[in-house]
Amino acid sequence: MTQIQSRDVPVIELRHVDKHYGDLHVLKDISLSVGKGEVVVIIGPSGSGKSTLCRTVNRLETIDSGEILIEGVPLPQDGRQLAALRSRIGMVFQSFNLFSHMTVLDNMILAPTGVLKLNRKAAKDEAMALLDRVGVADQAHKLPAQLSGGQQQRAAIARALAMHPRAMLFDEPTSALDPEMIGEVLNVMTELAADGMTMLIVTHEMNFARRVASRVIFMDGGSIVEENTPEAFFTQPRSQRALDFLQSIRN
Amino acid sequence: MSAPTIRDRLYEAPGPRTRRRVALFTVLALIGLGFLLFIIIRQFARQGQLEARYWDFFLKWSTWRYLGQGLLSTLKAALTAAVIAIALGFILMRGKLRQNPVPRWIATAVIEFTRGVPTLLLIYFFFLVLPRMGLNLGAFWRITLPCAISASGIIAEAFRAGVNAVPKGQAEAALSLGLSNTRTFYQVVFPQALRFVIPSLISELVIVLKDTTFAYVVSYADLMQHAKVLITSHDALVSVYLVVAVIYILINYALNRMSDRIAQGNRRPTVQRQGGAA
Ligand SMILES: Nc1ncnc2c1ncn2[C@@H]1O[C@H](COP(=O)(O)OP(=O)(O)O)[C@@H](O)[C@H]1O
Ligand SMILES: [Mg+2]
Repeated sequence: MTQIQSRDVPVIELRHVDKHYGDLHVLKDISLSVGKGEVVVIIGPSGSGKSTLCRTVNRLETIDSGEILIEGVPLPQDGRQLAALRSRIGMVFQSFNLFSHMTVLDNMILAPTGVLKLNRKAAKDEAMALLDRVGVADQAHKLPAQLSGGQQQRAAIARALAMHPRAMLFDEPTSALDPEMIGEVLNVMTELAADGMTMLIVTHEMNFARRVASRVIFMDGGSIVEENTPEAFFTQPRSQRALDFLQSIRN
Repeated sequence: MSAPTIRDRLYEAPGPRTRRRVALFTVLALIGLGFLLFIIIRQFARQGQLEARYWDFFLKWSTWRYLGQGLLSTLKAALTAAVIAIALGFILMRGKLRQNPVPRWIATAVIEFTRGVPTLLLIYFFFLVLPRMGLNLGAFWRITLPCAISASGIIAEAFRAGVNAVPKGQAEAALSLGLSNTRTFYQVVFPQALRFVIPSLISELVIVLKDTTFAYVVSYADLMQHAKVLITSHDALVSVYLVVAVIYILINYALNRMSDRIAQGNRRPTVQRQGGAA
């Protein structure tokens, strides 16, 4: 599958994706693509389906119809292929989800040794380098509960990076953080973007979105209402709903 | 993410007034208990139960060795039953958590059966019915297997509750890193579930230990059986039963203390903040 991978094949592509939770139509005909090195930010009111969209990309949620392609290849249904695909897409959660019974370092090397079959020494060396990059190397031997929220989230980002992902998904990575810790996580993400990482980010941090996004997608009620450049979206959105939403958060 | 025990949920930390009341009731209860003990002992004395001949054989080494042998058999049966019960409970829990409805239904049926049927009935089954079907197990297995089966359903449910108590995000994070379902379960979910489960496992062990006193049904020579022999040979019912009861109580007390210790140890690292909103 590396043969068909080229500049113009999107890393992540959704085509006419629909999903229901019982009677609730959470994703309505969603089509979107994220090219290599792009940073796409999803914005929208709570309950509009942002998390669900994010989670369908590595099949933590299944879809009812439509297609999801990763580097041009349809998302596998289950088993080894699905696990292999997930290992190439990093995911960062609102609630960090570091494994609470392991030290930060053990969190870092679990998947590299277990999935990529790296030897422990190599995995640890790389883990320490990554932890250093996000500024929590000195916390490597602590349990997650002993770290601050900001430190946990940075370690969680490092843990995802240890798998050398082709793309990273972020689902409101700073929403569970105390305000003074939001900056340190956004800084790490900004650096990642600058390094050319392909990213799909759900966030309410508007300044960050404006600074980092290649494109902004505005969702409401399970649909993509508007897709725009960050400049245009934040200064003169095309849709009334986006305008209302932006006004509601500015107040 | 911190795991408050049921006790924490039921009782708030007592204030000064409550503490004073508790102290008063403790004193009253102790006085009441002392009085009860006094009546019992006086009654025993009147009936002659305190006479030396009912107690002096406890000064002999052979008596204790004999009780010790019985105790050893009891512990052997209880421990074997516990190991089998935990293994069975684990398998049943895995079955019940499967997506596939067939193993799930089977596991559910077996769990409900083992939880509903009295241990003694299972023992009769192993003792009376199986031999008629040509399956002759020794006395040891006739007591350990029913005790194990009887405990397995409750243990399966304890395991399942523990697994469900682990936040979903833990498994999702593992899966999103590319870990297989199996690795996710054994390396991420189950180790965390165990922390919740160990205290209830130990309480279940206490029940298994008590269940093994049914050993008399299958003539397995456990502590109770040896006690009965002592009773007949020394014609001393009350004293022997008292001593044996104290032995059981001490063992189970030790187990319960152990479980409390573990429950407390578990809470310490999770008291600090961990994770955020879901
Ligand atoms: N597992 C679920 N079962 C049923 N409904 C769900 C589930 N997850 C989310 N929903 C519903 O789907 C809608 C979209 O949820 P979500 O994707 O979390 O929105 P957002 O992340 O934009 O706040 C909400 O109305 C939510 O209540
Ligand atoms: Mg969400």
